[in-house]
Amino acid sequence: MSDNQVRSTLKSASEQAAATIAAMPAKPKIIACPLCGRQFLTHTELTAHYAAEHPDSVAPVTATLNVNGKNCELIFEPFMTLKQVLQYHLGLIGAKEMCDRGACGSCTVIMDGRPALSCNILASECEGKIIETVEGIAVIPKWKPLIDRYCYWDAMQCGYCTPGFLVTAKALLDHNPNPTEHEIKEALSGNICICGTQPRHSQAILEAVLIMSGHAVHGYTASEVDNG
Amino acid sequence: MADLLGANGTREDFRVVGKPNIPGLTSYALATGVAKFGADFVVPSMAFAKILRSPYAHARVLSIDASAALAITGVLDVVTWDDPIFKEISPNPIGGVAGDYLRNEAHHEGAEVGAVVIAESEGLCDEAISALKIEWEELPFIVDIQKGLDPEFPTIRGPEWDESGTYGPPMTTADGIAWMATHYPEDPRKQGNVGWSNKTEGDLDAGFAQADFTLEYDVNLHDVVSLLPNPQASVAWWTDNMYKTGKTLRIEGAVGRRSAIATMYGLPDDNVIQEGVFQGGKYCDWGLRMVQEITPLLARRVGRPVRCCNTREENFDMCVNERRAHIKLGVTRDGLITAVQDNSLLDHGAPSSSEMTVYDRDWNGYYTLKCENISQLYTVVDSNRGFMHTCGQFVPYSWDMITVGIYLIAEKLGKDPTDIARLNLHGPDSQRDDRAVPSFEAVLENGKEAMNWDWHPAGTKRLPDGRLHGASFRYQMCPRHAFLSYFTKLEYRGGVVHFPTQGPIAGWFGTECFTMIAAEELGLNFDDIVVDYDYRAEHTDEAGGSDGVTGHGWIVKECANILKRKILESAAKEAAPGTTRFGPMEFPKAPTPLTGYTADELDMADGKVFVKSDPSKFVPFSQASSETITADYGGNSPKSAWATQFGRKLDTMNTSWCEVAVDEDTGEVEILKYLVVADVGKVIRRTSLESQIDQVVFFSQGCQLMEEYVLDAETGVKLNGNMLDYRRPTTLDVPSVSKDILELRSGDGAYGASGIAHNLANSHLIITAIHNATGVWVDPPATPDKVLKALGKW
Repeated sequence: MSDNQVRSTLKSASEQAAATIAAMPAKPKIIACPLCGRQFLTHTELTAHYAAEHPDSVAPVTATLNVNGKNCELIFEPFMTLKQVLQYHLGLIGAKEMCDRGACGSCTVIMDGRPALSCNILASECEGKIIETVEGIAVIPKWKPLIDRYCYWDAMQCGYCTPGFLVTAKALLDHNPNPTEHEIKEALSGNICICGTQPRHSQAILEAVLIMSGHAVHGYTASEVDNG
Repeated sequence: MADLLGANGTREDFRVVGKPNIPGLTSYALATGVAKFGADFVVPSMAFAKILRSPYAHARVLSIDASAALAITGVLDVVTWDDPIFKEISPNPIGGVAGDYLRNEAHHEGAEVGAVVIAESEGLCDEAISALKIEWEELPFIVDIQKGLDPEFPTIRGPEWDESGTYGPPMTTADGIAWMATHYPEDPRKQGNVGWSNKTEGDLDAGFAQADFTLEYDVNLHDVVSLLPNPQASVAWWTDNMYKTGKTLRIEGAVGRRSAIATMYGLPDDNVIQEGVFQGGKYCDWGLRMVQEITPLLARRVGRPVRCCNTREENFDMCVNERRAHIKLGVTRDGLITAVQDNSLLDHGAPSSSEMTVYDRDWNGYYTLKCENISQLYTVVDSNRGFMHTCGQFVPYSWDMITVGIYLIAEKLGKDPTDIARLNLHGPDSQRDDRAVPSFEAVLENGKEAMNWDWHPAGTKRLPDGRLHGASFRYQMCPRHAFLSYFTKLEYRGGVVHFPTQGPIAGWFGTECFTMIAAEELGLNFDDIVVDYDYRAEHTDEAGGSDGVTGHGWIVKECANILKRKILESAAKEAAPGTTRFGPMEFPKAPTPLTGYTADELDMADGKVFVKSDPSKFVPFSQASSETITADYGGNSPKSAWATQFGRKLDTMNTSWCEVAVDEDTGEVEILKYLVVADVGKVIRRTSLESQIDQVVFFSQGCQLMEEYVLDAETGVKLNGNMLDYRRPTTLDVPSVSKDILELRSGDGAYGASGIAHNLANSHLIITAIHNATGVWVDPPATPDKVLKALGKW
């Protein structure tokens, strides 16, 4: 699917998310110096190159991140945030940068079961953590009703902040499968939508909860949603 | 204007239009994070760029020593303002600044100035900018527009920044300049930092002579930030293309502005590729940022792709400029307004800021009144407060001058503001039309009933919990972009209708509405129409929220009917008796259920083309014709003169209502109830309308209770240019908005629809309710400290 083939269904979007996850490299394809572009076979060689050629710069580090169930060995500069590594090294663009400083929730991922702001976390601190992004949520059938209800209720306009809301909602439902409307609003209060869709999220999540627990809502059941 | 099948006002049966909850065409891609915005693009060998930003409110770069920056490994180049490459591009035809592209003078803190660095990473760009040795000349600045009125204050803007004459370049385009000269030849010439924008209709003295009393009041409108959600960004690279003349530019991030970029770089449109369609929120902020324009230039410089992205702080542009209005009304003892005198002081912002402040004098709520004696004297002051891109939000935000006036008349006469509004509102067709406006009566009565409206004088009602209760109401017309010309093309190909559009996708679900209209006219389902997003398509969604969608929807409707006629003609022709050829052989055609009928005798519905006199004779729509059939249509929706009669024609109206509780001890304001009753003419996509109402309430609540753009008077720098300190409402803050959507079918869009979004945004509905609760006026934003201060408690 090309970048602009955008008329999407739940099925096609999930498939595209799955393809993105499948394309995440398990190991770096190329080990190149981020400063001069010279290529190396190992991280050790790159570190030695830094010591020799760029002694005033901090050498890239290596870490294995577990993202969406896949272990990815990565080499990146130690000042890179998790958000940057997800985008530049793993091709995951669902975590969005909006505020630069952990004030808007657009970059939310789930780390060890808790919502975390990926623009505020150094990637080097994430080794050994279980990281879920919106792409990972999109491929799990259980969460299709949540995505579907967001789309049914236009709980998005421009859609830039939407993945952040959805990840926070999933984290809430992991811990509290039957939240009240106030609990939903409280959980989502760290996510900013500048299009003003705030009132629409609760409705989407409450209906998703009903569908996920086996009820039919407006004639929709979990199996119908699953079939796209 | 043609109404090809007479279907505009007469169609009663809708099978697609008006249906709620049809998911957006791209919603699933957006929700799952696979939709790609400008900042998301990563391409091989991509370099990064950053533009130097001014730390001063007004300053000139005298010199830059880049040697230390260039010595940093990984820094590819530092390009300063005097480099010839900045003469290689033309100004953006949409809101661009004339003259050299990058200059050495900055007119507000954070403005791009002096130099651009290109490096292997964003971090290295920051490091390189820190390493630049810059000699700055600090210049006088104005962040207090009152100070700008002082004739002794140095002129902050040389003539090279004011190309158009009166008080600044109106969007700097040739069209804009010509428009201003035609419409406002009488405006006085600018003097120093001050310009004027004046308009008087009727006889002000006569109007005040008819009055029994006068009312004077101030309405202050403060700066509000546009805060586009996605960081504005672009990635560009050049390639050779054997099929085209010269180089081909690929740019992602300047979504919807391919032609503008082509113009800037002197390229034919065909040599610019821009596949991304996700534009992000726009909210009528149509300007491109420098980061979205400059990457092709830098990519050419370094011979590889270049990405440039604003940080949040770098994207803190204004969408509403400060305005301080002093209003004087002449009023009869019954409450009829006989004269309006509006003396306003307006912030003109940094050079080439949007001229919406000026246009507002034509697009004003005053013209909804019977009163014909209206004077608007706008004093417009150049400032260094910030830059306002081409942005339509200023207009509705400033329409509450009359909302407050109506409330004050009611308060003085001890009457209900809704009665004062009804008394002053002119009739449906003109200011001299005495008839009641049917749409207004409907939205007023529904609102009063839903609110259980029982208006009380200021400061006279307490809630059981001891807090003060206040209520307010405002009316407005539903505006629309009927003055814009639109173009649509539809194609029947392989038995399927294709709708090619370049998008872009910015959040108002325009393509969905257009697809519903086309499906309705062709007797198809929403999913039957294939929407082809293609950056080369002539059709664009850019139409101005629900306002534009309805006018544009008319064009789609007409286009669909042209296509329908052509398909029926083709179906009749192909079904006609005759022969068909297969190579050298000729065979008699097999009859079909449509054989023997003319196009006039056929119709289409429910996915079939059938014989009107005997619907049992039909063929599936997909088999109606083997031909490829194209239809296109362009122009305005009918009654497009609505736009030039702004306010003087009242066909679709809306009312907004608000109830608040004010805690006298803490200064906290709680919105108890917020109701919007809108006559939208005809619902096209209900979920879109409801969502747009949520949006304008969010904007209105933010600007009245939270948002404030704070500048330091001593230095002129922004103090809260980030999302921690510049607060916007969260899920816990926004009120539940009740919505009552009426369909009186009297708008000028498809099926009598009209827009709603712009005019529901307001700056003083909540503020007026707070006054009704407390008896004191609080300038927005009514933060608890300001409420307490107004109450004399802090």
